[in-house]
Amino acid sequence: MNNHGLPDFDTMTPADFEKFLPEIFANGDGRVSTDPRLQTFLTNNPDCAALVRDLEAIADQARSLFEPTDPGDAVWTGIQNKLKMQGSEDDDLPVHQTV
Amino acid sequence: MDVQGLQMTQNTPAPGVYKRNPPIAGEAEAIEAAKNGDAEAFSKLYALHKRRVYTLCLRMLGNVSEAEDMTQEAFLHLFRKIGSFRGESAFSTWLHRLTVNLVLMHLRKKGLNLVSLEETINPSEEDAPKRDFGSRDLQLTGSVDRVALERAVASLPPGYRMVFVLHDVEGFEHNEIATMLECSTGNSKSQLHKARLKLRELLRQPEQSTQPAGIDEVAV
Repeated sequence: MNNHGLPDFDTMTPADFEKFLPEIFANGDGRVSTDPRLQTFLTNNPDCAALVRDLEAIADQARSLFEPTDPGDAVWTGIQNKLKMQGSEDDDLPVHQTV
Repeated sequence: MDVQGLQMTQNTPAPGVYKRNPPIAGEAEAIEAAKNGDAEAFSKLYALHKRRVYTLCLRMLGNVSEAEDMTQEAFLHLFRKIGSFRGESAFSTWLHRLTVNLVLMHLRKKGLNLVSLEETINPSEEDAPKRDFGSRDLQLTGSVDRVALERAVASLPPGYRMVFVLHDVEGFEHNEIATMLECSTGNSKSQLHKARLKLRELLRQPEQSTQPAGIDEVAV
């Protein structure tokens, strides 16, 4: 084990790799496939390398899910209606007129 | 969870979130005016942030109707509490945290409130990813179709989806997620890994239906 509680990358088994993969991903910059400490292991264990590539591809594409989407117009209408209903009842609400 | 307590905490934002939340022209003036009950200012703040808030809700909930309801709740909550915004972090970061905490509260009310989130973010064995590396002929080809991934994320059990969205989509760090979800950092790392494994499994089976998971499915 090293300082991060990870196994020795030169002697670990695929089972060790699977067990510690969440920590390996979290400890690096998220790029396990290019971590120089793991190159020998990944070369010798192609299924592990394939797993890493797939998980990295998923994490990479996840960033594109951030593209904003507009809510329907009903959302703003609903907000306006609720503010109208609550405005006169709730002293905590800073709205004094229809939005 | 005390939503107000968490949402009003203006910690340093996660790097990923901060990069996505640069200052917006006219926003500061609108915030100050909104604090004084200026309706036009509220309208402007809604216009500036509706897409961001709605998209976050949609990713976390995986359901358009619920996401619209939560967007409405988030802005109503914002309108009530904007007076407590002190400008110690970006307004969008503050609103982002407010929204995340409202969604988490919503999920708890839907059935996650009886036991700790530490337990409930662990989906049932049926939902858990298969523990296999996979034969190489089934591996993804190094790229993932965005639409397919969106469908797969929407079909994840809520616990997996929350951690995946917060970390991989929204850019929060594990320690921040652990604080928000009231679980350990190790649990956040583990759940993220399981979520990615589950997504891999779903993406390798495109012929199977990936219907959005119901809230009830998260109960352990």
